[in-house]
Amino acid sequence: MSLWHIAWSYLWNRKFTTILTILSVALAVALISSVLTLREETRKRFEEEGQAFDLVVGAKGSPLQLVLSSVYFMDSPTGNIPYAEYEQLKADKEYVKAAFPISIGDSYLGFRIVGTVRELFEHKWESLLTGAQRAPFQLADGRYFEKSMEAVLGAAVAQQTGLKVGETFVSTHGVIAVPESLGGHSHANLPYTVVGILKPSGSPFDRAVYTSLNSVWDAHRHGPNESGEAHEEHHEAEAGHPEEEEEAAYQEWGAKPESMITAVLVQLQSQLLRFQYREKIRETTSVMAAIPINEIATFYDQFLGTAKLVLLAVGYLVVIISALSILIGLYLSIIQRKRDLAVMRALGASTYDIFGAVLIEAFWVTILGIGCGWLVGGAVSFGLGKYLAWRFGLTISAFNLTTEHLGAFATVALVGLIAGILPAWQAYHGDVAHDLAER
Amino acid sequence: MIIVEECRRQLGPGVQFYCERLHVPEGVHMALWGPSGCGKSTLLNLISGLLRADSGKVQVDGIDISGLSEGQLDAFRGERVGFVFQTFNLLAPFTAMQNVMLSMRFSDTIPAAEWKPRAESLLERVGLGHRLHSKPKTMSVGEQQRVAIARALANKHKLIVADEPTGSLDPKTATAVMDLLLELCRESNVTLLLVTHAREIADRLPALYDCTGLVQEVAP
Repeated sequence: MSLWHIAWSYLWNRKFTTILTILSVALAVALISSVLTLREETRKRFEEEGQAFDLVVGAKGSPLQLVLSSVYFMDSPTGNIPYAEYEQLKADKEYVKAAFPISIGDSYLGFRIVGTVRELFEHKWESLLTGAQRAPFQLADGRYFEKSMEAVLGAAVAQQTGLKVGETFVSTHGVIAVPESLGGHSHANLPYTVVGILKPSGSPFDRAVYTSLNSVWDAHRHGPNESGEAHEEHHEAEAGHPEEEEEAAYQEWGAKPESMITAVLVQLQSQLLRFQYREKIRETTSVMAAIPINEIATFYDQFLGTAKLVLLAVGYLVVIISALSILIGLYLSIIQRKRDLAVMRALGASTYDIFGAVLIEAFWVTILGIGCGWLVGGAVSFGLGKYLAWRFGLTISAFNLTTEHLGAFATVALVGLIAGILPAWQAYHGDVAHDLAER
Repeated sequence: MIIVEECRRQLGPGVQFYCERLHVPEGVHMALWGPSGCGKSTLLNLISGLLRADSGKVQVDGIDISGLSEGQLDAFRGERVGFVFQTFNLLAPFTAMQNVMLSMRFSDTIPAAEWKPRAESLLERVGLGHRLHSKPKTMSVGEQQRVAIARALANKHKLIVADEPTGSLDPKTATAVMDLLLELCRESNVTLLLVTHAREIADRLPALYDCTGLVQEVAP
């Protein structure tokens, strides 16, 4: 018959209000927990994938946009650069260990078709999270592309489209899938043939179709059954890529469309050269270089950092509301069982017994609320993680318990206990004879 | 065992409790009898440490309780007084056995290892061996009062105070409960103070203290 048992018995005796109070605490904790988990996990995953390349070189514009479009396949490209830029970078062996051109222009069912070179499939790097070697371009089936219009599918593309090795598909012009009824159009005269499927890597690389640069250039030339008018309309509809701008770019570079690429993914001889080489490119060329991991860190600190603070503020506001509900719930319960408390006092219960039992009730509610909240927060993170995996190819761990989580939970527990002090004080200072005499 | 002398307690504006003298030797079973509102429950509360006298002497088992602090009064009640209330006052979330054990838990006079066997034995003694794990709301009023009697006796206190213990019972059950209470108090050789307004119940006890006039109106 410990005080823990006594407190639990009273909570159990009023199950409904106890469960409601626990749920209110759980709601607050779930919000805080999922914000912390999602923020930390997505940051880790973004940084992990950002580690894949030391630099991304592309057309001038927003460095973040360049990184998002080239490494995470998320945003529209900043524009095109001549293929010659890639050749120059590749030749700079003093700084550059490996360079991979990519050309992004078309898509299939919303998945980007990335024109590149076969060397990309051999690209490996050290994981930031585990230290293990990352090699996301391993084949699960078939082979790598060898000639034009052959395609290798990322694991998520194969899974979601159902395409298999040997099957063909027709790409849609543009990186955003636009139905033909809304002006979108396909390259029906140039179907791709699936020759390989990659193993799942839990990264954005799962969500792209890889083909040769020639495939993209071939598809980009207007085919016989594709009207120039439709092509032009589509380009006007596509954000950031009006036909006029592309033409202007080609003229600026003095290049033809088939000799243009979207970006170059660069692996340097040493990670320590990132800033130095970025500056060198800025000073000596007319293209732009961005450090993926740096851009992502800035993005998280500036934009998502603020969003995190806002969401955490909402979470802690809910904690205060939950604390009030604990206080009100316990206070009402103390009023309802004044006689029980008086009986305990008559039986010899001490200050410690009465005060402690009520405080332990607050503790139980808070601890169970934190436990349930953590589970609900994990479930929410799991659900959102599924969405992130489906939408961006980022695989996250849902049930985290970091020092940030523990700090937040300790704060909630403290607030819960403080909420229990007033009812506990009230409980002990009842008039025993009066409360016993009340009918 | 109990000495009350020149004891005063202000009950409200112009209303005062005053007991000039009451001596109860150890082991005596005494009825505190009188009409409603005469002050018999106040006298019982003063003796059991639920109320504190404004002046005068209230001595129980050699302890002058009028000078005790709140905490000392808690300890005094836990160590020396067993209560039987008119409305039983069992704690609803707990079973019959847990109610008896709780009394020992708060009193701290019986070793923890003995709580369970003693609670079982007392409940069997009051005829509730088959209701050990029943909660109060599933029991009849007679059964609840028998649990309350077992609880009052659990700590082997020298003093049992009972405030209208049969007041909520039908006559037949009241007689059975009264018989049980008196029998157990005799067996345990405890001092019993029993408040009642019913003369026929008071007459069943060997000693009677007439509480009429303990509550007086005084000039404000």
